Amino acid sequence: MRQLKAKRESWGSRLGIIMAVAGSAVGLGNFLRFPVQAAGNGGGAFMIPYFVALLVLGIPLVWIEWALGRYGGGFEHGTAPGIFHSLLQKNRFVKYFGVIGIFGPFVIYIYYTFIESWTLGYSFYSFKGVLTQLHDQALIQSFLRGYQGLEQNAFFSSIVPAYIFFLIAFFLNIVVIYYGIRGGIEVLCKIALPVLFLFGIILAVRVLTLGAPDPAKPDWNLANGLGFLWNPDFGALKSAKVWLAAAGQIFFTLSVGIGVILTYASYLSRGDDVALSGLTAVSMNEFAEVILGGCIVIPAAFVFFGPVDVQAIAKQGAFDLGFVTMPLILGKIPMASVLSFLWFTLLFLAGVTSSVSLAQPAVAFLEDEFDISRKKAVGIFAIVSFVLCQPAIFFLSRGVVNELDFWGGTFCLVLFGTVEAILFAWVFGMDKAWEEIHHGADIAVPRVYKFVIRYITPVFLLVILGFWFYQEGLPTIMLKGVSEADKPFVFWTRLGLIVLFAVLAVLVKVAWRRRDKRREKELV
Amino acid sequence: MNFSGWVLLVLSWSGIIALASFCFYKIFSKKVVK
Repeated sequence: MRQLKAKRESWGSRLGIIMAVAGSAVGLGNFLRFPVQAAGNGGGAFMIPYFVALLVLGIPLVWIEWALGRYGGGFEHGTAPGIFHSLLQKNRFVKYFGVIGIFGPFVIYIYYTFIESWTLGYSFYSFKGVLTQLHDQALIQSFLRGYQGLEQNAFFSSIVPAYIFFLIAFFLNIVVIYYGIRGGIEVLCKIALPVLFLFGIILAVRVLTLGAPDPAKPDWNLANGLGFLWNPDFGALKSAKVWLAAAGQIFFTLSVGIGVILTYASYLSRGDDVALSGLTAVSMNEFAEVILGGCIVIPAAFVFFGPVDVQAIAKQGAFDLGFVTMPLILGKIPMASVLSFLWFTLLFLAGVTSSVSLAQPAVAFLEDEFDISRKKAVGIFAIVSFVLCQPAIFFLSRGVVNELDFWGGTFCLVLFGTVEAILFAWVFGMDKAWEEIHHGADIAVPRVYKFVIRYITPVFLLVILGFWFYQEGLPTIMLKGVSEADKPFVFWTRLGLIVLFAVLAVLVKVAWRRRDKRREKELV
Repeated sequence: MNFSGWVLLVLSWSGIIALASFCFYKIFSKKVVK
């Protein structure tokens, strides 16, 4: 006789899942990507399309994912294939769309853990006072390249130190996932998120009290630094690129379109609220992004480097901003080591609360669809992901991470978000969808959102998908800008991703076949 | 920073703080009925 399936896990408290979803959303991008995007796309004017996208794209998608996740959880499905199947049980193919919701987070996890481990390493070197002794941009660049194993220099003779920090970060992630939803992820997020906010507030207050540090340059002051980010260039609003950048930022910052919220919400009970909880997680993410993220890096860079250099700094990209510019800035402030430690620990906490969420869909898939125990599922996940992390570490300079980020962290997000919105509003049906969002809700969602979710969000997503595919997708697919030397690495990465996707699709097929056979046996 | 910049900053920050306050107020003020 078949053993009764163990009851699925659940969250210990409402605050637990809100913290976990907010922890998943608050990542390195809140502190590094947002200020770069805002500064480069019209400054304060960027906030207009940003908030429009939040209202008609971000918040509706958050509600869609929370509602879909809780709905699927009721059928004991914690990942997209099962959740989509529960929406449309007569359709044999809809579950295969859900493969994207396991593939995407898994691919992001493969490279994200390594990047997250840099922040751990850097907080260690900050604590030791090594990092803040480097007062020259070239030296810090050299430190970063040595750390990443891209060159041998006076700081690092090999990648070994970075690899040790990777092992620590990877092990920490696995331990958290091993202890499960309530004992691992919830506990981590309930501790890490308040600490992250505390560190963020300390750093923001320190930057806001910088004034004009160089008396010879009174214009290089904090108000003008904030002005660099907030003074609006309303002419930018006429540019489609700015609207797309704002929509993209909303998409990436809220962790929608990944599949993570679906999985987290699947551990809710049927009567639990999703409308208010989802909105609360959004508000926490926006606080971290617009308020904390917006007043640390760029204003601090402005007061120390001035209006000309800060433009070049903003164009360097998010990583250089975090790992090169910030240590340089903090090195100029009293208690540099402490502040640098706070900065990199903040980034590490933002990273680890996101990476555990990226791991969870794959683990939940094995648990729910193959009846594998959590410990075994985590073991399988650890071995497979550890092996797949290696190319991202050792071929970093060969474009492997960029390729993984393109497919897992960009393409799949927009595609999956579009699929979810269409399935929820059009296939499941808007009336049922609306009822699902309101089931157990502690707030009434404004009625206008019935129209927004049905028409505006899917159309907005299709437009983004189309524009994005034309602007970035096609050149990347055609390997534009990839050097001849890197092409084989990118090619093998792409082939590996196709194989991974195919394997996941086959696993979905096998899981459903096993389920059907089991059902037939039970009927006999 | 110019006047428009200040207006956008104040509106954005106050909007986010108001939203967060509303959400947490609703969560913590919910009466538990057993």
